[in-house]
Amino acid sequence: MMVNVQGPWSPLLGRLSLGAIPDNPIIAGAFVFAAVLGAVILGYLTFGHKWGYLWREWLTTVDHKKIGVMYIIIGLVMLFRGFIDALMMRTQQVMACGPHSPGFLGAAHGYLLPYHFDQIYSAHGTIMILFAATPILVGLMNVVVPLQIGARDMAFPYLNALGLWLTAVGAALIMLSLFVGDFSHAGWVGLTPLTEIAYSPGVGVDYWMWAIQISSVGTTLGAANLIATIIKMRAPGMTWSRLPIFTWTALSTNIIALTSFPVLAVALGLLGADRYFGTHFFTAGLGGNLMLYSDLFWIWGHPEVYFVILPAFGMMSEIIPTFAEKPLFGYATMVAASFAIAGVSWSVWLHHFFTMGAGPQVNTFFSIATMVVGIPTGVKVFNWAFTVYRGRSRFDTPMLWAVGALFMLLLGGLTGMMLAMPPVNYSVHNSVFVVAHFHTMLMVVIYGIMGAVNFWFPKVFGFRLNEALGKRFFWFFTAGTIMVFIPMYTSGFMGMTRRLDYLSNPALLPFEIAEEIGIGFYVVSIYYFVRQLYVSIRDRATTRVGADAWGSARTLEWLTPSPVPFYNYAVTPRVHARDELVWRREQGLEGATVAHYEDIPMPKNTPVPLIIGAFALGLGFGLVWRIWWLTDVSLLAIIVTVIARSFVRDTDYMVKAGVVQETERRLRRNAPEGSREGEARGGIDMFRPHESNP
Amino acid sequence: MRFTILDVAVMLGIIVPTAIITTYFLLRYRKTNTNAAYDPHWSHSNLIELIVWAIPLLTVAMLGYESYKGTYAVNPYDPRMIKTKTASAANPGSAPLNVDVITTDWQWLFVYPKQHIAVANELVIPRGTPVVFHMTSATVVNDFFIPNLAGMIDVMPGMRTKQVLVADKIGQYRGYSANFSGAGFSWMGFKTHVVSSAHFTHWIQSIQKFPRHMDYAQFNKFARPTTNIDGKTPAFSHVHARLFDQVIKGVLDGKVYTTRMPPPGAA
Ligand SMILES: [Cu+2]
Repeated sequence: MMVNVQGPWSPLLGRLSLGAIPDNPIIAGAFVFAAVLGAVILGYLTFGHKWGYLWREWLTTVDHKKIGVMYIIIGLVMLFRGFIDALMMRTQQVMACGPHSPGFLGAAHGYLLPYHFDQIYSAHGTIMILFAATPILVGLMNVVVPLQIGARDMAFPYLNALGLWLTAVGAALIMLSLFVGDFSHAGWVGLTPLTEIAYSPGVGVDYWMWAIQISSVGTTLGAANLIATIIKMRAPGMTWSRLPIFTWTALSTNIIALTSFPVLAVALGLLGADRYFGTHFFTAGLGGNLMLYSDLFWIWGHPEVYFVILPAFGMMSEIIPTFAEKPLFGYATMVAASFAIAGVSWSVWLHHFFTMGAGPQVNTFFSIATMVVGIPTGVKVFNWAFTVYRGRSRFDTPMLWAVGALFMLLLGGLTGMMLAMPPVNYSVHNSVFVVAHFHTMLMVVIYGIMGAVNFWFPKVFGFRLNEALGKRFFWFFTAGTIMVFIPMYTSGFMGMTRRLDYLSNPALLPFEIAEEIGIGFYVVSIYYFVRQLYVSIRDRATTRVGADAWGSARTLEWLTPSPVPFYNYAVTPRVHARDELVWRREQGLEGATVAHYEDIPMPKNTPVPLIIGAFALGLGFGLVWRIWWLTDVSLLAIIVTVIARSFVRDTDYMVKAGVVQETERRLRRNAPEGSREGEARGGIDMFRPHESNP
Repeated sequence: MRFTILDVAVMLGIIVPTAIITTYFLLRYRKTNTNAAYDPHWSHSNLIELIVWAIPLLTVAMLGYESYKGTYAVNPYDPRMIKTKTASAANPGSAPLNVDVITTDWQWLFVYPKQHIAVANELVIPRGTPVVFHMTSATVVNDFFIPNLAGMIDVMPGMRTKQVLVADKIGQYRGYSANFSGAGFSWMGFKTHVVSSAHFTHWIQSIQKFPRHMDYAQFNKFARPTTNIDGKTPAFSHVHARLFDQVIKGVLDGKVYTTRMPPPGAA
């Protein structure tokens, strides 16, 4: 039944043996780095007596804000890992350019062996899309959406925690693959039949497959949860026509996720059947068809692009009006455009294989369908421009990132329209031009995310991030983006293929050098980001904010104290307008406090999601190495845990009205109300729209 | 190329003004400029919304039409392609030359079935004659691409794809695989020589005298995973005319050229 694999196998350890530890100085270096970092963290936790705090406040929490923050932390760590991969790739290409380029560490050219290089770029893509962008966005939606709609928590807090830990398991499996065994070398898209056992006999593809499979179960559950939350948990008065734009994009995005991730699960499941049971769904021979995989993968893969970009559009739609001190232009069209994009995203997947030899009828259909996405996207760009029109723009850090995202979108739109045209596509498909294009689009996401992190950080933590260092981060990052991707577009147009570990054409060397310099700018920008975090946390006493951290915020989440108490709203707010905070400000209600507090039911902490996550890690590891006893035990343990948890009735507790009142008073007293003079940013009392009108 | 220029021109015609207007708005309506009007409630205008939808709609309609025309114009399966290509070429009316392209891990085999010869990693074609390529792979997917002569088309195991080209100028062109296919992929380049008809005939005759022959058994040895770091271009005479079909049949029957498992962290 089971497929025989190359190399030894034992019932106890499966394919795992000492030989699975890579013998490579680069990986050894990474291992030392990880070990030292791990030791420092463990030491801090142990000697600072932080284990109890960590367990109570974070590991067992079901609070949507803390879960969101943990998602974002996972995403940022993986973003860093993915960046190191990018740095290694660029360095390899600049070293291995031209026939006379030397080789180091046993490589023919450059310093990486081809098989190792292939794993690095496959890891880079997988990590950046699925383990950096996706968790950060899910995290931001987790933090912001319940606050924006006036809810106490997500619809299913326990399910929410489970989604987090399954995502963490996926990320952990990828990090494990670095030190035990190897990773897929078939690209983040899993090119068939290269992923079949004949061409990928190692455990790399299995790591890739199970990491994605397990984490996407989490993403699918999270999507169902967010949709339920938005539909059922809105505060009274929060009608559909008053829903904040970010929540709208979160809804469209999660509809995409809920409908597309199962397709990915099927594609990977069939691939798994090929690799483990010897079926032939995607092999070239014995009745298999590799095109079937491309079809299934991109039916998920293209909507996934919009899964990451729609929330970024939502973030821009929140940030730009706040800092232009004006409502968003064309609310209704913005909502319509989001759903149009989400809808059309389902009918364009074939543009990923225009070159597979489909007839011109098919290619034309998908070409035009792809271009149609440009219509609602164009509408969005124009609407943002008119939001700024007759406003009063302030260029705080979030605004810089949002405007940067807008310009990235213009560039990405131009090149996307080029790629959508098959005759053009036939000459640049699979070149680094395509790589530069989708990186430009992902930059829209990253710029949106960085804007959002700066924007909502004070809401969650109660103090602002340092502006000067944040701006430095922005400018160095932007310099890096320009230096890396403009040369990449150019060399792509000159015919440079993607995924090359050796470039025979020495004419490309200047572009490679420019890109390496761009990577240098990115390194500097990361330094400023870390420094921004450090300085902001150090100086937090002086940068505390009130409920409305920016003085011109518009939506409901800025009504609660910052940091937001664990129950979000002391009493569920009644919503009167689309921009509720502006409405209250104009009615003179902004400082109004609650007269009468009530008991609040809240969900209890639970370690069950963490336990299920731990067994899921065992399951994934067992499957990768074909350690069947571990697989069986883990799977059984997960089932037993889920059933056992379903008998637990006592999942909520009451927060007494007195506790709520005390917490509210303490948080409002901490806020720097009235403590600063004449400055536009800071406490809620700083904004007086009627007085400051010229 | 025409489509690229058109596409870029149309898009730049929209994007550049948009970028300029956005920048202008941002600068004019900045907080510190107290001369600019401020309208804290303005968020809707039917006229602007209409324009905002109309501009991208018209653009996409126009580019969509061009895309439709362009896709049909470069369709290699259209028999008229050969005629139009020949009409533009220096040597009208000549019979098309057939070349079978077979990729392995990680080499190109160009079989000239009528001439019974094959050359690996090197392609020689006569100027002004339409060349019809029939392509398949013995292992995984590659992508046939000669940037200055022919657009990309996938080369897939167990399947056939087709490409047509006519080269107008004598010279040497770079060709390579554009779709990642494994560890030896970066070295999967091939030189394409476009030569005069006389030169081409002479070249065929010289290869036909080569001592190494190729049948399916020989091909199975040739197809073992090989990274062509040295750029070797072995040539074969007495090539079995139906080798291409034999390779496809083999793949469909489950023939694989297994990659050996590399040690972790190494090649
Ligand atoms: Cu796509």
